[in-house]
This record gives sequence, structure tokens and C-alpha cells, in this order.
Amino acid sequence: MKKVLLIIPAYNEEENILTTYLSIVNYNKQYKTKYDVIVINDGSKDRTSEICHENNIPVIDLVHNLGIGGAVQTGYKYAYYHDYDIAVQFDGDGQHDVRYVKNIINPILEGKADMTIGSRFVGDIETFRSTFARRIGISIISICMQMTTGYKIYDTTSGFRACSKELIYDFSLSYPNEYPEPITTAEVLKKKYKIEEIPVEMKEREAGTSSIKTWRKAYYMINVCLALIAVKIRRYKRCR
Amino acid sequence: MSINLTIALLVVALFIILLTTYFLKKGRIPEKYSLLWYCFGLIILLVGIFPDFFGNISEKFGFEVMSNFVIGIIVGILILLTMALTIIIAGQKKKTTLLIQEVSILRSEIKNEKK
Repeated sequence: MKKVLLIIPAYNEEENILTTYLSIVNYNKQYKTKYDVIVINDGSKDRTSEICHENNIPVIDLVHNLGIGGAVQTGYKYAYYHDYDIAVQFDGDGQHDVRYVKNIINPILEGKADMTIGSRFVGDIETFRSTFARRIGISIISICMQMTTGYKIYDTTSGFRACSKELIYDFSLSYPNEYPEPITTAEVLKKKYKIEEIPVEMKEREAGTSSIKTWRKAYYMINVCLALIAVKIRRYKRCR
Repeated sequence: MSINLTIALLVVALFIILLTTYFLKKGRIPEKYSLLWYCFGLIILLVGIFPDFFGNISEKFGFEVMSNFVIGIIVGILILLTMALTIIIAGQKKKTTLLIQEVSILRSEIKNEKK
């Protein structure tokens, strides 16, 4: 049986982390799955770390805040060191639904894809599709991505994704610290790996605030587009 | 070039060279980066010593006043230095991130073994 790890990056998620963890544990019991979990506590200032330790949630407490990319990469390193076959990135804020993990890892298990993205914009699942402004942003990034890589990815900023063993190794060596989702997607496409978008349901954040603040949106867009151009002009080769 | 500008350039050049040597002696600046600053000081020193040569170049580039040419050179060097620093900092950041990740993974594993 393939070893599957759910990487949960968490920054100040004291209100959600336990619910998220319990939902995975209950799912494992109910469906006889064996999804392992690792929470990467990115230097939270609230009780995230205590809650994890009190409830025996496997956690790595980063000794200093690294930002989302650095935190997720720690998860990939952990996955590589512990020889996992598939790593799934899963948000700690209650946005992602563990029932869809099966769907997003399936194409990798069947060897049809190297990476899958849980997408709000493919298929016909009724789901929360983010705010209007953000949807426009996501489409612009999607267009930029198509221009730089030649592939159409609809949900470019989705943090619900799974990847194969080969990519776990790849990501453990190099992972962008800022705007990791669109950039890694473009890099992976450029390295000629196969990506598949899988329809998933996403909920609105249950508590806390998203890491992208309103006033930063424009700045975020400019940076992501620039980063995509950088991916276009860079040369990549597969690590293995 | 006015004598005042020449003196000012020589003073600044000597100051940079002496300061770099001081930091090098104290071990606060690595040899690799001190070289950068020595070059900086040397260029200013050369402008001070051979004003006519640089005066001709400055005229050829269309500068009306020699001092503008000198400032232009200094600004150019500073921009290059800043760019070099950005690259150095980015490299440092990568290394720090790597260290934080590895130390954090190790710590969590040591904790787990103690349990």
C-alpha cells in the first residue's frame, strides 16, 4: 500500500487545527484509509503548537517563521526523509475537505499524473468559488500561466494539491518561498511533468484570516506575473 | 578639475582604503568583499590622481562638468554594489531557511524519541 502524507501548514490556526485533524482521523477510521498527517507550525504566536502537543497531533514546530513556502517545503522534506509515496498539501483552516483526498491522489496512484490540483473551477460540483475580485485575479494568473507554459490551469492558487514521490524529492530540494502555488505549478509544467485538475468542494474559511490581505492583492498579482515570466526564461531540468 | 575636488577625491579614496584595511584587520569583512571596496577606493583614487585623463573621457561622454562625471561613476558603482548585496542576501536567506527547516525537523524527531 502506498504511503500518503497530508502536509498541513499552520500559522495561527488555534481555532481550526484540531477540527481539521479530527476530520482526517475520523475519515481514516470510517473508510479504513491510512493518511498520515504532519502539521507544520510556522512559528504561530497563538496556541497552535500547544493544541497539537496536547492532542498528540504530529507537528514540526519551525524555530522561526518562514512563510508559507518554507513551511510547506519542510513538509516535503519530512515526506522525503520518511519515504512517503504521495504528499498532499492540505490547509489547516478548514477550507479543504478530506473526502476529496481520495479523488486527488487517484490519478497519481494510477500513474496518470505526477501532480494533481484540487480545483474549484473544473467539473460541476457546487462549491464556494471565492470572491469576485479574487476570481478575476485567479483568471489573470491562469492566462499568464498559459502564455508562459502553454497549458491551461484553471485554479492556479489552489493550495489543495497532491504530488508523486519524484516531485516530493524535487520540492524538498527547491520550493519558492513566496507565491508557491502558481510558481510551482508553472515549474512542474515546464519540467514536463503531468498535472491534472480534479474538481473539489471548498468551504469558506471557518475562522482566522487568509494569508492574502486585501491591500496586497495588486502587489501579489504583479509579483506572480513577474515570477511566471521568470519561470518562462529559466531553464529547468528534472532532479531525477 | 578644481584642486578642491582633487583633494576631496584623494581624501575619500584614502578613507575608503584605510577603513577597508581596518575592518579586514579586525576580521569583520571577508577578503572577498574587501576586494570590492578596494576597487571602489582605487577607482576614486585614480580619478583624483589623473584628473586630465578622466576629464577627457568625461568630455567625450558629454558631461559639461567633471564633478558630474565623478558622481556618475560613484552612483554606478553603488548600484552594482547594492545589486551584489541583494544577491548575497538572497543566498543567505536560502541558507537560513534550510537551517531552520532541518533544525525544526530534527527537534521534532528528538522530541518524539523522548516520548
